[in-house]
Amino acid sequence: MGTTRLNILPVPTFSKLGVNFVERDISKYEPQELVIAPPYENPVRADVTGSTDIKLTAPENSSLTVILYIKPDSKLMLDTFLSASAGSRVRLVQVFEGGGQTVSRLTSELGENASLELVQLYLRGEDTVSEIVTKLAGRGSAFSAEIGCRLSGSDKLDLNLIAEHTGRRTASEISLGSVLDGSAQKTFKGTIDFKNGCGGSKGSEHEDALLMSESVKNRTVPVILCDEEDVEGSHGATIGRLDEQHIFYLGSRGLSEEKIYELMSRGKLLRTINKINDGAVKQRIFDALGWEYDD
Amino acid sequence: MKQKTQVDDIDRSLYDFRFEENEGDFLDSGITPEIINEISDEKNDPDWMRQHRLRCLEVYRRTPMVSWGASVEGLDIDNIVTYIRPKTRMNTDWESVPDNIKETFERLGIPQAERESLAGVGAQYDSELVYHNVRKEVAESGVVYTDLEGAMHDPRYAEIIRSHFMKLVPPTDHKFAALHGAVWSGGSFVYVPKNVHLEIPLQSYFRLNAKGAGQFEHTLIILEENSYLHFIEGCSAPKYYEAGLHAGCVELYVGKGAALRYSTIENWSKNMYNLNTKRAIVQENGRIEWVSGSFGSHVSYLYPMSILNGRGASAEFTGITFAGEGQDLDTGAKIVHNAPDTSSYMNTKSISKSGGKSTFRSAVQVNENACGSKSSVSCESLMLDNISRSDTVPVIDVKTDKCDVGHEAKIGRISNEAIFYLTSRGLTEEEARAMIVRGFADNVSKELPLEYAVEMNNLIKLEMHGSIG
Repeated sequence: MGTTRLNILPVPTFSKLGVNFVERDISKYEPQELVIAPPYENPVRADVTGSTDIKLTAPENSSLTVILYIKPDSKLMLDTFLSASAGSRVRLVQVFEGGGQTVSRLTSELGENASLELVQLYLRGEDTVSEIVTKLAGRGSAFSAEIGCRLSGSDKLDLNLIAEHTGRRTASEISLGSVLDGSAQKTFKGTIDFKNGCGGSKGSEHEDALLMSESVKNRTVPVILCDEEDVEGSHGATIGRLDEQHIFYLGSRGLSEEKIYELMSRGKLLRTINKINDGAVKQRIFDALGWEYDD
Repeated sequence: MKQKTQVDDIDRSLYDFRFEENEGDFLDSGITPEIINEISDEKNDPDWMRQHRLRCLEVYRRTPMVSWGASVEGLDIDNIVTYIRPKTRMNTDWESVPDNIKETFERLGIPQAERESLAGVGAQYDSELVYHNVRKEVAESGVVYTDLEGAMHDPRYAEIIRSHFMKLVPPTDHKFAALHGAVWSGGSFVYVPKNVHLEIPLQSYFRLNAKGAGQFEHTLIILEENSYLHFIEGCSAPKYYEAGLHAGCVELYVGKGAALRYSTIENWSKNMYNLNTKRAIVQENGRIEWVSGSFGSHVSYLYPMSILNGRGASAEFTGITFAGEGQDLDTGAKIVHNAPDTSSYMNTKSISKSGGKSTFRSAVQVNENACGSKSSVSCESLMLDNISRSDTVPVIDVKTDKCDVGHEAKIGRISNEAIFYLTSRGLTEEEARAMIVRGFADNVSKELPLEYAVEMNNLIKLEMHGSIG
């Protein structure tokens, strides 16, 4: 069977860098359907182990929390669609424990003053392709993403995030903290797209990548597209090892360099984990990481 | 009533004059083996160069157009004249240059600049260099600044040219590199010997006068160990309705401990496609500094590339792009860290107005062997109205943990808070806006030689007007 282009960069760049898209064979996936619509228990928790199409509906002025724990048996394709109506507030937690080839796509449409708070955690990523497209269509809609990932061994993660601002006075705030070890490879493509007519909108993204092995590969593509004058967009990224002054300071307090890196990598992940207000899920995350859990 | 502040387009009257050409001066348009052979005959190419041109033509034919970047649909290579026969031979005496060509460069202020502040000047008119001169004391220091074709036929330099020509930018790099390799004509060769510091700059100026034509000059600069050079490049053309093409190539070899500053003010007319390739390779503790101002052209693809190939090598890129009506300027830089302890800094500004589109595109690659390397990228974009567009597309590709890479980007308009602050200090709104825009471009203008900084200010001519009711 043929391959399909996924995670397409909205504006292609130098072909030789190989970041414009990835190709995977997704023809073998036969997803089951999961619909999450009212009436529902809040929060909604679900384990995803096989290919699934998920439809989330948040009615006007509702509040919805969904926690998805994704641990593929083998290959998995997850297609999540969220429709957030005016004034709704949605909190979506996706934990990818890894263990097999995973292709995930999350598409969200936000109505007037609707908000999506996305928390994503990638604990391993044997071969994970993940796309997040958020359409900020309603005036005053807001999107925040707190993403953490820890990759080691030969893990591969390709992450393509697009925040599409079409409504006026919309806001997006994206934060990615990652820790790479072994010969892990990560590509993060983050796009803030200000469409004409989205006056008064703001978008920011920040990435902090801690590299812990000389064999890792980290690619960052922070794109800002601007077709509107009255907007503010910004991006910042820091990639590499720990600052020498940090190491010196902590070393002078009696910590070995190995311990310092362990603490720092733990700290980066905890920033995301602490956004998950669910003890049982946290316990599973800690178990997967081999950490001791103390609530 | 409050009126929106206007920023005028660049005043091009200085550049839009032109002189007529004779039909007999032109080779046929398009690109065929016959035309390539005709160019080789005109230039009395050595056999290796003729073969090189024909090989490049084959590469050109099989290489697809780029699949990213600004649209080049309006460019029909079959309608571009790739070579225009010169009316004059290359001169070292300004008085021997034909009157109309002389007048062109006089108007652009080139001879005056040579008299006042340059160590040497080269002037290319259409396909050929018409003037090349270097100060006596500079020549006596061993510096070579001459036309590339002359150097290719000079036994002292022929082997150097052969071993360096299109080795840094191979014809397989992209379609227009191959086109350049097939039809290149004119350009300069600079050689700076070991330990020679040239304190005053050399300058080449490229003028494309003919309509529907292409300019394909090749600049080759070699700096030996611990030498220094500042090279300035200027480009312009009058406005025609037919598309014109500039597909030049710049190859810079920076030796151990040497430093090269390469400044460009590009002001092609708005019918031009500027598809230029510039690349530098820098050895141990060497340094390349690019200063680049992109103002003209209908479409630009311009990403000077620095390959940091020796321990401790460094690169700095400072650039400004001003995209006005009908312009799609895709500019930026590429840096490859290919040795330990290398460092790079990229600082760019772009302004979009009147429907212009500006794209900042960059790539920073830190290879496995570049332990201890540092890189910082900063880009800022200013939108001056609601019909323009500004995109930022950087890529950071890191293959080692022992590095420190930072990136920051900002996009926006002139903030109301800044205007409020400045007006509260007694400035009018127009003065406040003008000050902010001048300040935005300041980091680039202060890096330019004085006469070019003045030219840049003239080019931008940020004429502010407005009223507060």
